Amino acid sequence: MTVAALALCLLLGFSAFSSLALSLDRHHRAAFRTPVPKRRAGGLRAAGWAGLALSFAAAVAAGGWNFGPVQWIGSLTGAALLVVALMAYQPGWLRIAALTALPLAVLMLPLVLTG
Amino acid sequence: MAWLHTWSGLVVGWVLFAIFVTGTASYYRSDISRWMRPELVETSVDPAAAATRAGAYLRKTVPDAMGWSVRPPTTENPTVEVYWWRDPAGPFQRALLDPSTGELSRARDTGGGDFLYRFHFELSLPPLAGRWIVSACAMILLIALISGVVTHRRIFVDFFTFRRDRSMQRGWLDAHNVAGVLSLPFHLMIVYTGLVTLSSMLMPWGIKTAYGDDVLRYYAEAGIMSPGRPPEGRPGTPLPLGAILSRAQAAAGEVPEVLLVSQPADAGATVTAYFEEPHGLAHLHPQIVYAADTGIEIGRVGEAGAATRTGAVMVGLHEDHFAAAPLRLLFFLCRALGAATVASGLILWAVARAPKGADPAGFGLRAVRILNLGTIAGLPIGLAAYFLANRLLPLGLDARAAWEMGCFFAAWACAGAGAALWPQGRAWTSTLSIAALAFLAIPVVDAVMVGQPRFVGFDAVMAILGLILLLAARLAARRRADAPRRTARALQTTARA
Repeated sequence: MTVAALALCLLLGFSAFSSLALSLDRHHRAAFRTPVPKRRAGGLRAAGWAGLALSFAAAVAAGGWNFGPVQWIGSLTGAALLVVALMAYQPGWLRIAALTALPLAVLMLPLVLTG
Repeated sequence: MAWLHTWSGLVVGWVLFAIFVTGTASYYRSDISRWMRPELVETSVDPAAAATRAGAYLRKTVPDAMGWSVRPPTTENPTVEVYWWRDPAGPFQRALLDPSTGELSRARDTGGGDFLYRFHFELSLPPLAGRWIVSACAMILLIALISGVVTHRRIFVDFFTFRRDRSMQRGWLDAHNVAGVLSLPFHLMIVYTGLVTLSSMLMPWGIKTAYGDDVLRYYAEAGIMSPGRPPEGRPGTPLPLGAILSRAQAAAGEVPEVLLVSQPADAGATVTAYFEEPHGLAHLHPQIVYAADTGIEIGRVGEAGAATRTGAVMVGLHEDHFAAAPLRLLFFLCRALGAATVASGLILWAVARAPKGADPAGFGLRAVRILNLGTIAGLPIGLAAYFLANRLLPLGLDARAAWEMGCFFAAWACAGAGAALWPQGRAWTSTLSIAALAFLAIPVVDAVMVGQPRFVGFDAVMAILGLILLLAARLAARRRADAPRRTARALQTTARA
């Protein structure tokens, strides 16, 4: 797996986990000081799972069915660790970081396709 | 099931921590070995000529051996590693040869990364005993993992939770959960596949029933090894090893990783060329077998059966050789999280049972505290001592490799003794600080004693490990300083709720 493909998986996984984390009351409170509204929770959760599915698809597309899933799990551990660290030390930054990760992931796409 | 998780984790926790740490280190074992043999500079040597010289050396020194194995030099590892044995069950003798002379290498005598690698499944005990102990610990860890998942009811809700500003026990519980859950698939995989690598020792009955004592026939039929040919009982006239290496290279398009000579003194001698595993998850080595005297190909091992392949994929997953550098770093992180899970679980046990107020700590708690400190902070001291000994011990010392290992165990034992004698309050800070200083000393000592630019990367990693340990020491000191305040705050929160 190339560095670009790994970065793509990491960035997608990070955004996905961030939105899953923010869909939980405790973490939403830490980031925005309010409990999460019901409809928003649903949206965040859907976006989170969709992001995880997308990063799985990216891993398999880049690494094949052999390596893709193994590499996906490795990248998810890294992504989740980043979310936990940010949540523990700077919860307010989580949304910005998750939103910045998305365009960066798009930037990785041409590198993945050519590599 | 909480008790099962607690006690299964506790009884083997200290051994598991050592297995995880040394196993993680051995993920980079060839880098460690290279650093520990600074005399070997990267050069291009002709592998065929080197193999011929190694064959001549073995014929001169151990002509009566039952088998030899010769690992030809590569550019990164310019040395010829030879093994020989008189009995298939061992002992296996080993030597490093200089590829350009075919005599014993001038490189310093060291266990290198291989010592850490073997420690992680043999614990430096007699091989069989060590493997049984490690297997038992791994089996219990599998129980601890599964019962841990069952016990941890709020696994999804608490997935991202790390409450570092609450009580000490809460913080350690969260750390244990986060480290355990985030790489849970990895933990399950590494324990299970680790057991699979030792499966034929743990469950020999299947092979015993079908093949009796004829293990070689099992290897041949499973597609692990070629059957070879029977001895003829008269001395043969073998070709130089290099000639056979050249044939193998021409047949496969790559230099073989290892040449294995069976019954070298006999006319029926064979040479098996083992090649690098092809790119894939499975850990399987294609082989070509040659007659040692004529150089004619007599057999090949390529396609393995389904069961062998499944086993090989598991070993492949355990070793992760297929991972390129960036992914390696992530898997390294997963391995480190394994060690962190064990360590945080052990500390949590002690923190959760800390006596309230002025009650003295009981014997059990004190024993666990000492073992925790001696293992979690002591093992890093041992590792640093091992690396420092490699640079500082005199080069001409007899049995130098054994001295290095002795330094590893002595430093670890001293740290354990210190843990028992130091007053409980300051023990963590002091021991972690010593470990940090030892790791920070490695780059300095290396620069003074050897000073080669190619080791900058290794030295930088040592410095980073030292800084992490320093951070841990500072955190331990701060925890102690504001423990009373924290308790007061926790009490307030409880009172309000």
